[in-house]
Amino acid sequence: MSLQNILQDWSKYRKGNEEGGFHDYEHLWGLAIDLNKCIGCNACSVACYAENNLAVVGKDKFAKHQEMHWLRVERYWDEPDLGEQAVSDYQSHGASFLPMMCQQCMAATCEPVCPVAATYHTPDGLNAQVYNRCIGSRYCSNNCPYRLRYFNFYSYYEDSWPAPLNMQLNPDLTVRDKGVMEKCTFCVQRIRAAKDVAKHEHRELQDGEFTTACAQTCPTQAIVFGDLLSLHTAGKAESTLSTLWRDQQVELGRTEQHKQNPDKRGYRVLEGLNTDPKVMYLERVREV
Amino acid sequence: MQHKDINEDIRWAQINKDVLRSMENPRKAYWISVGICLALLSLAVIAEIYQYNVGLGPTNLNWPHMWGLYIATFIFWIGMSHSGTLLSAILHIIHADWRKPIYRFAEAMTTFTLMTAGLFPIIHLGRVWNMYWVLPYYSDRGIWPNFRSPLVWDAFAISTYLTSSALFLFIGMIPDLAICRDNTRGWKKKLYTVLSLGWRGDDRQWRNFRKTYLIMACFLIPLAVSVHSIVSSDFAMSIMPGWHVTTFPPYFVAGALYSGCAGIITLFILLRYFFRFEQYMTLPILEKTCKLTFAIAMVWTYLNLIEYSSVWYGHDTVAKELLIDKFTGPYSPYFWAMNILGSVLPFTLAFEKLRRHIPTMFAVSILLNVGMWLERWMIVSPTLAMSYEPFTHTVMWASWVQWFIVIGSFGWFGLLFLVFVKIFPSVSMYEVKEMIFHRRHLANKDIAAVMHRRSSDPQPSEGH
Amino acid sequence: MALDKIKRRDFLKIMGWGGAGATLAGCDMPTTVTLEEGKEEVVSYLVPEEYVIPGIGVWYASTCQQCAAGCGVHGRVREGRVLKLEGNPESAVNSGALCQMGQSALQTHYNPDRIQQPLLRSGGALKKVSWDEALAQLQQKAGGRSAWVTGTISGHQAVLLDAYVKATQARHYPVEVVGSPVWNRVCQDMLGDANPRLRIDEADLIVSFGADFLGTWNSPVHFSRQYARFRQGPKRGMLIQIEPAMTLTGANADLWLAIRPGTEGVFALGVANVLVDRYQTSIAGLPADAQKAIRLYTPDHVKDITGVSVDQLMKVAELLKKRGNSLVLAGSTAEGHSYGYQSVASIMLLNILLGNVGKTLQANVHAPAQLAPRVGNTANLVAFAEAAAAGNIDVAFFYGSNPLYLAPQSLGLKGKLDKVGFKVALSSFMDETTAQADLVLPLASALEDWGSHVGAYQNGELQVSIQQPLMEKLYPETRGFGDVMLGLLKQRQVREFALYEDYYAYLRNAVAAMPAALNKAGGNAWNNALQHGVVALNAGSGALRPRAVSLPQPEMAAGDDGYPYHLVPSARLGLWDGRHANIPWLQEAPDQITKVVWDSWVELHPTTAAKLGVARGDTVKIASKAGAIEAKVYVYKGIHPDAIGVPLGQGHDEYGRYAKGRGVNPLSILNDTKDQTTGELALHATRVQLSRTAGKPGDKLVLMGGSESQLGRKMVATVKAEVFARSEGDA
Repeated sequence: MSLQNILQDWSKYRKGNEEGGFHDYEHLWGLAIDLNKCIGCNACSVACYAENNLAVVGKDKFAKHQEMHWLRVERYWDEPDLGEQAVSDYQSHGASFLPMMCQQCMAATCEPVCPVAATYHTPDGLNAQVYNRCIGSRYCSNNCPYRLRYFNFYSYYEDSWPAPLNMQLNPDLTVRDKGVMEKCTFCVQRIRAAKDVAKHEHRELQDGEFTTACAQTCPTQAIVFGDLLSLHTAGKAESTLSTLWRDQQVELGRTEQHKQNPDKRGYRVLEGLNTDPKVMYLERVREV
Repeated sequence: MQHKDINEDIRWAQINKDVLRSMENPRKAYWISVGICLALLSLAVIAEIYQYNVGLGPTNLNWPHMWGLYIATFIFWIGMSHSGTLLSAILHIIHADWRKPIYRFAEAMTTFTLMTAGLFPIIHLGRVWNMYWVLPYYSDRGIWPNFRSPLVWDAFAISTYLTSSALFLFIGMIPDLAICRDNTRGWKKKLYTVLSLGWRGDDRQWRNFRKTYLIMACFLIPLAVSVHSIVSSDFAMSIMPGWHVTTFPPYFVAGALYSGCAGIITLFILLRYFFRFEQYMTLPILEKTCKLTFAIAMVWTYLNLIEYSSVWYGHDTVAKELLIDKFTGPYSPYFWAMNILGSVLPFTLAFEKLRRHIPTMFAVSILLNVGMWLERWMIVSPTLAMSYEPFTHTVMWASWVQWFIVIGSFGWFGLLFLVFVKIFPSVSMYEVKEMIFHRRHLANKDIAAVMHRRSSDPQPSEGH
Repeated sequence: MALDKIKRRDFLKIMGWGGAGATLAGCDMPTTVTLEEGKEEVVSYLVPEEYVIPGIGVWYASTCQQCAAGCGVHGRVREGRVLKLEGNPESAVNSGALCQMGQSALQTHYNPDRIQQPLLRSGGALKKVSWDEALAQLQQKAGGRSAWVTGTISGHQAVLLDAYVKATQARHYPVEVVGSPVWNRVCQDMLGDANPRLRIDEADLIVSFGADFLGTWNSPVHFSRQYARFRQGPKRGMLIQIEPAMTLTGANADLWLAIRPGTEGVFALGVANVLVDRYQTSIAGLPADAQKAIRLYTPDHVKDITGVSVDQLMKVAELLKKRGNSLVLAGSTAEGHSYGYQSVASIMLLNILLGNVGKTLQANVHAPAQLAPRVGNTANLVAFAEAAAAGNIDVAFFYGSNPLYLAPQSLGLKGKLDKVGFKVALSSFMDETTAQADLVLPLASALEDWGSHVGAYQNGELQVSIQQPLMEKLYPETRGFGDVMLGLLKQRQVREFALYEDYYAYLRNAVAAMPAALNKAGGNAWNNALQHGVVALNAGSGALRPRAVSLPQPEMAAGDDGYPYHLVPSARLGLWDGRHANIPWLQEAPDQITKVVWDSWVELHPTTAAKLGVARGDTVKIASKAGAIEAKVYVYKGIHPDAIGVPLGQGHDEYGRYAKGRGVNPLSILNDTKDQTTGELALHATRVQLSRTAGKPGDKLVLMGGSESQLGRKMVATVKAEVFARSEGDA
């Protein structure tokens, strides 16, 4: 870090502020999850285990809440919007499922608190976690309102993958060792591979060229993955995801959406905290 | 009943003799204490070795509870450090001379509690071996720590505070070290010779010494206040309910002074017993310390109530639910204990009879610190247990690994402290002499006239 | 890239690849000879094998074998290892999606507890032998009357098995516990098609009596795909689930009704009664006893029997009448009683009365008889047990089914098996049945084997799904099922199979030789089949001919006889019937409803729990006339107070490190009750008593997550259907 660099960074930052928008970003990977379609079957979560070398911790450690599911399907028995109806002798409205993976916030609360900058915002709009840099202060997880960051409380490689289970490990990413924080990366290894292929073929990355493991396997196609850059930047090819966000009148950079059509179902979890998540949920629909 | 802070008729040579004797033949209880501290410390060493090898899993820390007793105890020890500075620097500047017999060990307490506190952020790291990455050192890959992170501020704040307070302790000891140098033999003499930096007690040395000491004191006061404010930023800068509280910096500082004062009472009573310092650490001084503690306890209580009421009347429903849960939820026994110990128990300090009863004060001072430790725990854990995402609401009880390390930290601090008071004079000889001198000659006269003079000028008539 | 334009970055990248390639040579691959094996020859990946590009994953098509639905998969293969499975978009079953069981087929394949060598019982213990010895032993023993117990089996494996069964005059008993045998039988009797095509996507209202079509019913991934279309705009369908204990489908219902177990048929007749009374539906064409039954079950009467309020009954009837296309389904909770057939028939009657036949229930395509699935059921399990007890079996073969785990103790199968002279298990794992076998033939995993499969449920489009190995065998001493069968057939000198060197040769020949008229794609049939993973076949489908059957008054179990609660053994998408209990991913994946991991549990209604004085995590003893089990309690409102739910899947005595000694198996305490019409085991007919016990010390009920309430925070937000209709619907 030289003075020149600082000045350069500063002028770049100032310029970015003047121009506004997201011109600095190459992509803004995001998700849309339709709770009207999600059935809570857990396929996404297991697909994530398979793709991302997630450790199986076993019953004892699970009992201590030391599990490692990057994508967890939360299940609630009540819904605030149902009001009084929820109070009855039976669970007559079923359950409420909510798949939660890292929300890849644009104003991520995990990023500023890391003492060693092991988590930072990439030009793809992702909250990257640099395992090698992480010293395990765990502040990021404490400061994540969604609690979507998981810590390696042990070295799992011997217990979780007794041979030959270890042969299944995805060589495109690491097996994390003890003392390191980890979380959903939006399958960054798939992003990387697709980018490399596109670069090799001298073309732009196409929408739908690849997707994350969870979106790919979802039996109801409730999860849509894509690039949100065209939502806020002119001249970019519109992606399916951008169309979806636009249609739901959900915008980045807001703590409260001002929808022209209040019937639209798009919302972001804990949006009011101004974390600016890039995962949009579509409200569950209820017959009354 | 003794009313004077100190026996004004005591001979100066007697002071030297008493203090130097303390470094030779303490009571047996001293050695028992050293043994206890060693035992406690070894518990922590065992736990740390285990934790280092296996990972943080055996601590019972878990997915919402990424922090636990380590961070709570870290804040506790940082808090303990503040009263040393209060006694040695703040009371020095405001000329409260009753501090003189007891400020030395208080300042030592500051240094050693910081040395204890500083270990905790390191012990709690997932990858301890990379701890130096939080420091800004030159890296040819241009990698720097994240200056936005309060944890990096902590590293700066604590290391600065530790350096400064250690320096302050050392500078304040120089004249006494010279006395030690002149009265010992063997390796100790060599040690004191080096440390006393050629002190001869001449006029120029005294003048420079006074200036330096005053400047250091002035420097240390804002530093002490800022350190605990920065530590409070670990919480206040976050987004979590119960943590992002605007009043946290003063609240933390008040809590720090509170627990520090209570700690001083505890150590006061111990040292008085170990080293037969009844002449110096007198009941009136103890009383004054108790009054000070009481005042600070009330400030802390007030800030505490402010925090509750601002949450209660505020619009942050999540924080309010958390507060209600603190009062009624799984942590409520500890929360109530903290409030009772922190806000009700200090009223014992308001009664003269109790203040003068040493066993009571010893128990009370320890209980006050238990309350203050609970306060830190009640800041850390309930927020982690009950934050925004309901699905992650869980309670965590620490395992033996965490407890061993927490308990062991008391052994570590105690050991450092006990070794210090054995090797170095724990009562400031030259300042007690000053105190006696001033009291004897000036106490009944017009104080203003005295203050007009350089109060620190030594009197040539009595040497040391 | 011109040489002068190579930037430093690119250069490093190239070097990186080279480095990676060189490093990989050191990895111990299943296909390379390693130093540990004593041969000092390391095959370098700098000269990679054919089709292997170090660092590049290649996707091959195959078929999922985790349940009988037959989803097509793509497996990602890199450096000779299969790393990830994804659904095959060309498969008509799953259209690219996969459930969690499919995802974790990898851990069945790489499971550390696989059997690696043939085992022969000598002196009471199983000892390792060679294949030659094993087969010789088999040839010697296999002379007598033999029986084959398998799971659902289809495609060319079924062809081989049939040939062997025919050659040895054996009996074949396909056994499955999770299935819909009564439903299929009713469909056959009332619609003329055992597996009608269900148009979930076309329905405006689905009323499901315990049919867990999103979780465990027939073809869950396929139905989930349909469900997504059913739920989306412009005309979002409504789902009503009526069952005693909540299933995954019930958890997604708009209206979930708890019903007293075994009264589903009564409720359906009550709905019919309202349809007749209030909405003038004609029942003139029905058999007399059906008409009588409908008239008998007036709403008040139904309320007394089922415990569902009259209002709810009226509401269901009204919705069925008014809300466009409906579809009424019946699942295992309706089937599993001694009068299960009547219940399901009563439910099916609604489809006929509402005119759903031909609309949401359509005629389906059927595979040619020789490839069609032999769908397993529990009647076969009973039949096998009886045959074994009668001493009619000299040699029993077990493949793809674990009868000793599945059979209730009341069936006494373990004792009856002792009368079987020689037991042969074709298995990859030491499960309960395999542990009792005299000869164990270790099978290659589904990802190492060849095969062809036809899903039991077809979606109006007939496909044979091809299973091809995604990697070399992990253990050289394992063999594919087809290869074993071919070997056995050769032992028997069945001439038409003598030509084929191995199963691959046979399968390739059989697929390539499919009549052009049958095979839609034409061209190089085999290469097409491998490339696409599926072979689409031409198949006609007729039309459904609705025909009501007579509905004699069922005899419901009277009085509780000291056993007040109904046991609901519920299958879950995950551990299924227990076959996936050895998969760590699925053990660690929380149950969808209760979020419990690594354990069994008992679902209790809060009033039941209060009556017993137990709370979540306490242990209760569940005793039936046939036996008792202990499990920890989960309390919620998704269950009828008269019912207790215990999931299938745990409680293994064997089956490897992840399954053994974990939880309990509710099947073990079922009474010996059978459906009077089909002979199926009545899985939901067992009454139990509950008592509180201490439980094992230190053993906790482990759940994922904390608060089950959203605490008023907007985590899962909800809108009303009319809002949805305004914004995304046609309103």
